[in-house]
Amino acid sequence: MIHFHRVSKHYDNQTALRDVTFSIEKGEMVFVTGPSGSGKTTLLRLIYLAEKPDEGNISIAGWEIDKLKESSIPLLRRNIGFVFQDFRLLNNRSVFENVALALRIRGVDEKGLKTRALDSLKVVNLRHKADSYPFALSGGEQQRVAIARAIVAEPAVILADEPTGNVDPDTSAGIIRTFKDINARGATILVATHNRGLFCNTGRRVLRLDSGNLVGEETG
Amino acid sequence: MAVPYAFRLAAQSIFHEKWINFLSILTIASGLLITALIALFVYNVDATTRKLPEKFSMMFYLKDNLSRQELENILNTLGKDDAVEMVKYIPKGEALKELKTMLKDAAYMFEGLEENPLHNSIEAKLKREAVCPETAKRLASEMRAIEGIDEVEYGEKFLSSIYSIKVGTRAIGTVFIIIMSGGVIFVCYSTVKILFYRKKEEIETYKLLGAKKRFIRAPFIIEGAFIGFCGGLLSLIGILSLYYLVFLRLSLSIPFFKGIIFPTNISLLLPLTGLLLGMVGAAIAIGRIRY
Ligand SMILES: Nc1ncnc2c1ncn2[C@@H]1O[C@H](COP(=O)(O)OP(=O)(O)OP(=O)(O)O)[C@@H](O)[C@H]1O
Ligand SMILES: [Mg+2]
Repeated sequence: MIHFHRVSKHYDNQTALRDVTFSIEKGEMVFVTGPSGSGKTTLLRLIYLAEKPDEGNISIAGWEIDKLKESSIPLLRRNIGFVFQDFRLLNNRSVFENVALALRIRGVDEKGLKTRALDSLKVVNLRHKADSYPFALSGGEQQRVAIARAIVAEPAVILADEPTGNVDPDTSAGIIRTFKDINARGATILVATHNRGLFCNTGRRVLRLDSGNLVGEETG
Repeated sequence: MAVPYAFRLAAQSIFHEKWINFLSILTIASGLLITALIALFVYNVDATTRKLPEKFSMMFYLKDNLSRQELENILNTLGKDDAVEMVKYIPKGEALKELKTMLKDAAYMFEGLEENPLHNSIEAKLKREAVCPETAKRLASEMRAIEGIDEVEYGEKFLSSIYSIKVGTRAIGTVFIIIMSGGVIFVCYSTVKILFYRKKEEIETYKLLGAKKRFIRAPFIIEGAFIGFCGGLLSLIGILSLYYLVFLRLSLSIPFFKGIIFPTNISLLLPLTGLLLGMVGAAIAIGRIRY
């Protein structure tokens, strides 16, 4: 599903990823871990086509991304749900509208939209906050809205960047359980986190990054 | 994409940024009002000069003692010309009679006239669409070449100055209208550009969530169209009130204003023009969207 072959990404005077090669098959749930600044977000952004690699090849769901036409980028992104590290919620829209946005962009009509968005909010236990605005939510609640938006369209791939960075251990266990459920229904999931507790004893693959290098792979 | 959603976003933005939008609408309205006034001026000059050809005719004075055959010839040549609408032979006796009735009070002038001093002549009316300095000149020189024609007379200077006024106002008017339209587009452009920058983050999020370009553009285009339309509507109200409240009233005392023709149905195009210019401005402001 996701293949990196000798991928490097450099910023001005900084190497964010160096010569990274790995594969994630369809239906897997994989963790990426490593200290702050090790390149986790960069790796996810490359999959999402928010960045272009400087070297190497990436293919996603059979699409070679360097051969992808610009007009296909939105179509590729619609197959991916992204939980941004900084949430990227729109503060001038209600929680409901934020979640519904992912559906509107995909052209879902008004009828289907309402139930699906509310169901998705129910999954993250925020159904009662549907009419609130993001700025009036706690950090953990905002994070869960971001998760609801990522899963609402039932994408084939979910990329979650530090999805439990702002929540207590119980809530984060709940979030991981949600991802496992979605994974069990067939979605491929990649979670970036520096919280070892998330993948301990899950039996899932864990990719370990350090200073932009893929230094090892283990089983959680 | 759900079209109603784009309209909803546009409506929210219009309301949210009401001051920017309001000022833009006022600016656009004054721009379009000036444009409309210029257009009205050009239209009136055009209409006035268009009426002149009805009164325009050329006189061909004939030599005396032409044979019937020669006269027929000249009449035929003139009548066959594409530019000529109507030919009329005026014998000198008739011309004198007319002159006498015209100058009844000065009848003494004709006393003692042994002989008619006038010439036989032909009056030719040109077709309305053919009246222009070039045609008149061509016809005059062609006819002068014919044996039997003594002199050709037409308001040469008058005709060409009317035409230069017409062509001049048209050209200047067109230039002004283009400049003002450019100005209106620019106002819409900068308004939408400001709004676009303010929503940069939001647009970035749209892109990351997989929005197509159309989804991103639509609300801004709608907003530009709305601003332009309102500006156009306001300028229409402006020019209508200027005409009905000011010009018509002035025409009671100043005859000049009486002659103004106001093309009401054309002026209804103003809001539509504003709408189109607004859309163009918005489209330029958004520019190329890259992912
Ligand atoms: N836009 C950018 N411009 C310049 N340097 C960048 C940019 N984005 C990331 N970097 C650098 O690339 C390196 C990797 O960053 P990245 O965000 O991938 O780390 P991370 O593993 O996600 O860290 P964290 O756990 O803190 O989120 C960092 O050293 C960072 O400074
Ligand atoms: Mg990060």
